[in-house]
Amino acid sequence: MKTAKQENAPTRPNELLGPEMSPELLNQRVGDEARVRARAWWWWLALFATAGGVFMMFTAITWVLAKGVGIWGLQIPVAWGFAIINFVWWIGIGHAGTFISAILLLLQQDWRNSINRFTEAMTLFAVACAGLFPLLHLGRPQYFYYLIPYPNEMGLWPQFRSPLVWDFFAVSTYGTVSLIFWYLGLVPDLATMRDRTKPGLRKKIYAFFSLGWLGRDQQWKDYRALYFMLAGLATPLVISVHSIVGLDFAVSIVPGWHSTVFPPYFVAGAIFSGFAMVATLVIPIRKLFKLEGMITTRHLDNIGKVMLATGMMVGFGYVSEVFFEWYSGDAFEMQTLMDRLTGYYAPVFWTVIFCNVISIQALWWRGIRTNPWLLWILAGVANIGMWMERYLIVVTSLGHDYLTSSWQDFNATGWDWALYLGTLCFFFFLVVLFVRLIPMVSMHEIREILHERAERGKEAS
Amino acid sequence: MSSSSDAISPSLAASNSGRKEPSTIFLIAGAVLLAISTILLFVTGSEADPARNFSGWIVGVSFWVSIIIGMLFITMIWYLFDSGWSIVMRRQVEHAFAATPWLLVCFLPIIALVVLDPGSAKVAWTWLGHAKMSPGGHGSVEQDVLYQAKSGYLNYGALLIRFFGVFAVWIVLTQCFRKWSLKMDETGDHKYVHWARKLSAAGIPLCAAATTIAAIDWFKSMNYHWFSTMYGVWFFAASMRAGLAAIVLAMFWQSRRDGGLKGILKPAHAYLMGCIMLAFTIFWAYISFSQFFLIYSANIPEETFWYNMRELTEEGMKNSWFVISRLLIYGYFFVPFLWLLFYTNKFGWRIIAAASYILVFHLIDLYWNILPQELVGEHHEIFTRGFSIMPVDILTWLGTGCIFLWAYLKSSNQYRPIPIRDPRILESLNPNE
Repeated sequence: MKTAKQENAPTRPNELLGPEMSPELLNQRVGDEARVRARAWWWWLALFATAGGVFMMFTAITWVLAKGVGIWGLQIPVAWGFAIINFVWWIGIGHAGTFISAILLLLQQDWRNSINRFTEAMTLFAVACAGLFPLLHLGRPQYFYYLIPYPNEMGLWPQFRSPLVWDFFAVSTYGTVSLIFWYLGLVPDLATMRDRTKPGLRKKIYAFFSLGWLGRDQQWKDYRALYFMLAGLATPLVISVHSIVGLDFAVSIVPGWHSTVFPPYFVAGAIFSGFAMVATLVIPIRKLFKLEGMITTRHLDNIGKVMLATGMMVGFGYVSEVFFEWYSGDAFEMQTLMDRLTGYYAPVFWTVIFCNVISIQALWWRGIRTNPWLLWILAGVANIGMWMERYLIVVTSLGHDYLTSSWQDFNATGWDWALYLGTLCFFFFLVVLFVRLIPMVSMHEIREILHERAERGKEAS
Repeated sequence: MSSSSDAISPSLAASNSGRKEPSTIFLIAGAVLLAISTILLFVTGSEADPARNFSGWIVGVSFWVSIIIGMLFITMIWYLFDSGWSIVMRRQVEHAFAATPWLLVCFLPIIALVVLDPGSAKVAWTWLGHAKMSPGGHGSVEQDVLYQAKSGYLNYGALLIRFFGVFAVWIVLTQCFRKWSLKMDETGDHKYVHWARKLSAAGIPLCAAATTIAAIDWFKSMNYHWFSTMYGVWFFAASMRAGLAAIVLAMFWQSRRDGGLKGILKPAHAYLMGCIMLAFTIFWAYISFSQFFLIYSANIPEETFWYNMRELTEEGMKNSWFVISRLLIYGYFFVPFLWLLFYTNKFGWRIIAAASYILVFHLIDLYWNILPQELVGEHHEIFTRGFSIMPVDILTWLGTGCIFLWAYLKSSNQYRPIPIRDPRILESLNPNE
């Protein structure tokens, strides 16, 4: 019998699981204890605090539906404003989930097993928040279905040459595949929960959603085949979605937007911001639910490394953009560059550089990557930096386009902020419910690692 | 290639001491070929297109440089990911790294041409000749406002500094990785792996900057009005494809040699290399398509002319590049993509065929990127250089290739075929099938 101190002993940086981990402890931590811990005062506090934010979000939505998008800070030529900034930011955050669950699965990175469930859920919640903005931004959201190419008597067809229509297809496909992928991964764990729950309504719900899973050989065989196929499908999807988001800007000839490197640059930025959000969520939850044995310092180390690598790619994109705006010799591109470097938006630009390029250089040190709270702070800084980067791209370019007489500086209104912060609360509200209702760590995949570790131990002895 | 069941130990691998391959013949052949090519570069050249040989020289040397760049990136990626399976192949890359300083030497004739007379009509970097007529009807180069805007970057002194700077990065990185790995063979000290990992972390951004600068200076600046932020990424993607293909050819050649990788190379190594080749085939297509598509969509004359040159004559008829453009789409993406998609094509002669095919098309891709150039005729008429293969192209490509092979074989004859004392060598010798 291990003591509580031993169970929560810090692990060596190269370990996937803590030495104390066993199948029984896994079931206990993720299955039984998690539900007990999720009844603690801090869980209720988080629920009510975020629910308050959700109320604010619905108020902001109701008001915009009643009054129209004029309540936002939109002012021609800045016709996109917060709605598109938030859309791009949220979609980016969703990326890390699919990156971890699909791409790292194909690359046989076992460390993903401890955090993939969590990040897949994060993807779904982020996509839900992202999808809200373009719909509200339509001005007449009740006609959103015009985006769907359905035969109709009005002869109305979507503009297939517009990347906003590609967004519709890309995001809806991405959302659907992510949901199926997430649910598929959950099935064996829902069966575990079903078996560990006392008879009653909860057991019935678990039984319904576990689809009669019994863990037979054939079931596992079919399950693995399907899981890998979905990972193969999700991989190009995750790249294409944010590439298309990059195309939203780059296909136009607005100064500062028309840059050929935007598709891969947006993908790198999305993974960067997504991993920053993963760290933001995982570190406190790991502590609160005593999951240090499953989400070890090695996971934090790897999250830090991915943030550093993708942050450097984003930095490469910034340098590229600045250099080519100058190199192009185009007066308007130069104007946009100067606006960003020294103009009205210079504080935003330099904050972006600080948050996304300078601060992450601290991640070169293992001591910082494996220190949960330092990593958490850096992740928070990166989250802010990436939101401001989207702000910089959307607002500075639109505000100062080719017609000097129409130049406008953008100023957000309270409703802009209410909706943005409301979606942030909505996201955290869903996370709070998730940790209470669903196994937040993929138990069957952790069991695989435990089994492999046990086999290696036998061989060694 | 040995089957998966043949478990092998490092000492068995190290005990292999096969025959030495002749290498000096390649040095002599390379020197002779490059000497002839240099004479042709300096002495010959058509009146209508005096810089054609200069461009051909860049194609010939860049092909081999890009292989080194690709190998360098994959080595750093392997180190950073602490990759176990790839270690038996790493020594082939380290043998090839011996060629890096010699590739700088192979580039020197065109640098000599630039240094002797930057404004020479034989120099394809037209912006170096300020009195030359600028393509696009902007008067002379020095009167061209677009040149004036870029002159802080595109000038003689900065070009030379950058040229030697990018080579310094590649040479320092490749020689450090090679030297440390060979040292580890002797001493067994694992500190060299830790050093290599640290250098890889710093080396990737450095190498990314060097590769981007090389792409801008050597290729893009030939049509200096044009700009694309994706161009450095394209050169990276192209180099990765070439580097991986060259590794596959080297490892299969070594797998048939006593004293090489015979009995060491497993199907798993070939399979995993096939997977990476497939990934970079897709990546190259993604990058190339994104660049084309964004320029096509925006339809700005300052950008579209670069693609127009590769399709149309000044009269609007299809030119000789049109067929090459189509060939690259179908031949350089769809064919290897569909081929490598299949599991069985990642083994044996099938993957050798894929690697050889990719290298051929890589050369075509370089031709397509480097050769088309807007030129100003005697009566100030603008025309685009068409597709042609000149003796200088062949001599330079072959000559540099011979020097590359000489350096590779010399190193291969001298050192062990695998980094025998790497801490993860067992994992690589007996990979999971």
